[in-house]
Amino acid sequence: MPDPALALIVFGIAAAAAVVSFWPRIGLAPRLRRLLRLSERVLLEDAVKHIYTCERTGRVCSLESLAGRLEVSRTRAAALLSRLSVMRLARTGGAGPALTDDGRQSALRLVRTHRMWERYLADRTGVPAADWHDEAERMEHALSVDEVDALDTRLGHPRWDPHGDPIPTSTGDVPPDQGLGLAAAEPGRTVEILHLEDEPREIYDGLIRDGLVLGGRLDVVARTDGSVRVRSGGREWEIDTVAAGNVTVQYLPPGERAETSRTTLLDAAAGETVRVTAISRACQGTQRRRLLDLGVVRGTPITPELASAAGDPVAYRIRGALIALRRTQAAWIHVARAAAGDNDVSTHDVQEVA
Amino acid sequence: MALPAPACGSRAEHRTQSLIRLGLSPGKWDILVALAGNPNVGKSTVFNALTGLRQHTGNWPGKTIVRAEGAFAHRGSRVKIVDLPGTYSLQAGSADEEVAREFILFGRPDVTVAVVDATRLERNLNLVLQILDITNRVVVYVNLMDEARRHGIAVDAARLERELGVPVVGGSARSGVGIDGLLDAAHGVATGRTRTTPFRLAQQAPGVEQAVGSLAEVVEEAFPGVPSSRWVAQRLLNADDAVAAAVRSGELGQLGDDDAVAEPVRSGDPSRRGEDHTGAAPPVPPAAARKRLLDAAQRLRWDLPADFHDTLMERTYGAAHDIAARAEARGLRKVGFNVDRTLDRLLTNRWLGFPLMLAILAAVFWITIEGANVPSGMLAALLIDAAHPVLKEAGDAVGLPWWLSGFLFDGVYLATAWVIAVMLPPMAIFFPIFTLLEDFGYLPRVAFNLDALFRKAGAHGKQALTMCMGFGCNAAGVVSTRVIDSPRERLIAIITNNFSLCNGRWPTQILIASIFIGALAPAHLAGLVSAAAVVAIAVLGIGAMFLASWFLSNTVLRGEATSFSLELPPYRPPRVLQTLYTSLIDRTLIVLWRAVVFAVPAGAVIWLSSNVTVGGASVAEHAVGWLDPLGLFIGLNGVILLAYVVAIPANEIVIPTVLMLTVLTAGGAAAGTGAGAGVMFELDSVAATGDLLRGGGWTLLTAVNLMLFSLLHNPCSTTIYTIYKETRSARWTTVASLLPVAMGLSVCFVVAQVWRLLG
Repeated sequence: MPDPALALIVFGIAAAAAVVSFWPRIGLAPRLRRLLRLSERVLLEDAVKHIYTCERTGRVCSLESLAGRLEVSRTRAAALLSRLSVMRLARTGGAGPALTDDGRQSALRLVRTHRMWERYLADRTGVPAADWHDEAERMEHALSVDEVDALDTRLGHPRWDPHGDPIPTSTGDVPPDQGLGLAAAEPGRTVEILHLEDEPREIYDGLIRDGLVLGGRLDVVARTDGSVRVRSGGREWEIDTVAAGNVTVQYLPPGERAETSRTTLLDAAAGETVRVTAISRACQGTQRRRLLDLGVVRGTPITPELASAAGDPVAYRIRGALIALRRTQAAWIHVARAAAGDNDVSTHDVQEVA
Repeated sequence: MALPAPACGSRAEHRTQSLIRLGLSPGKWDILVALAGNPNVGKSTVFNALTGLRQHTGNWPGKTIVRAEGAFAHRGSRVKIVDLPGTYSLQAGSADEEVAREFILFGRPDVTVAVVDATRLERNLNLVLQILDITNRVVVYVNLMDEARRHGIAVDAARLERELGVPVVGGSARSGVGIDGLLDAAHGVATGRTRTTPFRLAQQAPGVEQAVGSLAEVVEEAFPGVPSSRWVAQRLLNADDAVAAAVRSGELGQLGDDDAVAEPVRSGDPSRRGEDHTGAAPPVPPAAARKRLLDAAQRLRWDLPADFHDTLMERTYGAAHDIAARAEARGLRKVGFNVDRTLDRLLTNRWLGFPLMLAILAAVFWITIEGANVPSGMLAALLIDAAHPVLKEAGDAVGLPWWLSGFLFDGVYLATAWVIAVMLPPMAIFFPIFTLLEDFGYLPRVAFNLDALFRKAGAHGKQALTMCMGFGCNAAGVVSTRVIDSPRERLIAIITNNFSLCNGRWPTQILIASIFIGALAPAHLAGLVSAAAVVAIAVLGIGAMFLASWFLSNTVLRGEATSFSLELPPYRPPRVLQTLYTSLIDRTLIVLWRAVVFAVPAGAVIWLSSNVTVGGASVAEHAVGWLDPLGLFIGLNGVILLAYVVAIPANEIVIPTVLMLTVLTAGGAAAGTGAGAGVMFELDSVAATGDLLRGGGWTLLTAVNLMLFSLLHNPCSTTIYTIYKETRSARWTTVASLLPVAMGLSVCFVVAQVWRLLG
């Protein structure tokens, strides 16, 4: 019989090693897998995508921007570019690198795969929003054209990814860009957010922290050289011009304003009937569909009726049925108090800003 | 009939193919009825009332996951009825919705009966409107009219009929009211005698309306004379692959609104369909026109507002609200005694909720354990003590060779008898009581109260109930997870159900605790101490369940989809007799049958392993010898490990197998007891069992670790099979089988080492 203390120590070390190695995302094995994927092919594909993005957004594309985006040296970036021209995917000419028709096709395929996968993660899985982009970055190099087409069918041919970007169709069809950068929006106008650029990650995270969401509304208060001042949900703050450039918006008709306060179902008192004004865009996929199916749509009256013994969840009277929702769900449901008008609310004038 | 025959034949063929694809046998019937409705509207009660078949119906949202089929005759027509899964919508967002939608659209039932709950008309109408959108052949049955009346709501069926444009019948399926009217109405619609003009949302939202309008024009250009160009346009804009494929192939006339109401009785029998069919097969338009249509649809799709699904639901619910408001009278004087609110206040009270819940559950377990003792003893006396010797003698009398008699009666028969004696009585008591609580509507309140606790482990409150069910039988517990309609939480509940100490394992725990743990305490406390030890093991199981749930939801199940919702249905007086009958049929007998099926080969293996000898010793002795070093190292022994390997089919036979193997391998002091190699037995006296086990080298550590291992080991094969059937995934079945074994081996190992360090 082995010495018990020794056996325990060996067991403890083995268990700890297993956890450290295999824990999802932060374990050694997942990290190693991420490192390994930086193969030549992945770099080439990322380069094609970068040039395509530049062309789409009208930004200047250069050796420097490519090296910066791929996090490689300039020498390596130059080697990648010449490899691309050998493959007839890109041309290096006077105004920086440009894609050939073949190059554009393969860029569209990559973009399609990336956005389709993000849509899939948002609609069909419980993967948190913060992980969508990274997962899609990995999958865009792994999925075949047929797999993406199958996914397209399964998801009911979605048009937009969860960030508001169009998903190119299987024939490479993609609508022209619409909207303008928030940095260019006129003070005094109210805008709706169409798209939040998810790269670079630091800026995107900052925008999310500021409470910007797709479909959200902002009053543009003032604009200076360095920043844009916006107001929403009874709060005013400044977004610097670089970050504002990553927010695509469209003007709303004059007269429509951002919401002035933000009341959610959590704020409703027991027995008080409130009306739904919006479901937050942060609630997507199966969660959103479930709420809609239960009848939580704009204009629905909801009454908190019964708290569970532990206080959460709370059961609400929704269209005649008693439905229990958790706090996290109730926080997605934006409501107006009954005083705002008791008739069937004309629902289009109240909208959400998170 | 001026239509070309081939088109006709292919059409009938088409439907037959669809039905086969949808999992329906294309048998002979005259009328095909689909039964659709929200979860928990008494759809299954309607199904039973129509067919007379006893399908279990509970007060639970989402009971009917596996589609049920039934058949009956009505006015000389053979009617086939298909019970679709209860869904809130037909948007195809979940597997159930997909099944329901596919069936109504492509199974092309002669009539779809939409069952709605009169107490929640508005919510239910949402689904009805979606059904009316895809088929004309609909009858609405407003169920639970009596219950609505109790709540002060009256539904005007005639008014609702005018609003919806299809026949509406009010009634109460529980008491059979309105079922005849429903049959007549359904027959009328199915045969085309009743014409329907279903309510359709007049206009789409502004952005959508424009796209539908302009695409409908293109549809008419490509397919002149198609019955509903707007419907086709809508489906194309919704990227409906089936419709797009029909356009591409030119068969568009076969889908959509072509179910012309005046069409005569159609038959599932393809040979008859050709003659019955009167529709005209449209000529196939040129390929260029079809391509133009698809391209236009593709282009227009980009112009639709991004949130048009939300807007669509909004408009559907808006219409549902208006219709419900016109058809129902609310706030009438409530009839009878309405206790819902008072009960809810009491049962979910901050201070009273948990104590009441514990008291009720404790009572259920007490009744089960107390009540099962006597019949279990009687069954054991009958099947094992009395019948077994008789069988052996009969075998000798007809001159069976010893090995055949041993194999059949000592192996196969004894294992089966043991499983039945131990398993049947508690299940026959536990399941009906549980089902009564479920029918009454209390169980959803338990889930409601406990959700906060389960949420922290990433699980669903309803897991509390599937866990309780697991205390009866893990296989039944796994089946009961169907009430959890969120995929991730349901998988967690399935995989962790085995941590509920099932009734096959209670006897092991109680026996070992009384022999080894109770003996530590003074005699007058022995009973209490051993009972406490068993309860501690069960509580440890609950702890392990939470731990495993948390672990799973944060690692392997992290990416699975989740959508929490918990509907609290109104309380309903339970129907005691019906419940007793159905819970016996559905749960007890089905589970018992599965257990028996697995026990038979186990008995055979046990007998064979102890009687087939290789090199002078039986296979079992060899195996025990191999397993002993590992077993002793982790504080168990080879006998226990082998017993758990051969007793995978049923936990009930672990102790009899352990005793038999101990006698077989230990010899010496233990020799002379027992009934021979391969014959499982139990001893009447606890003390004698203790002596036998101590003779086999058992210590207190062995006992403690056996209790732990009995809690934490792989599910029995019945449960594993059930998990596979429920998840349809080898991966999750493997996780569910191996995770508890890994935990059990680790825990036993650690306990043994610490024990040795301290002792």
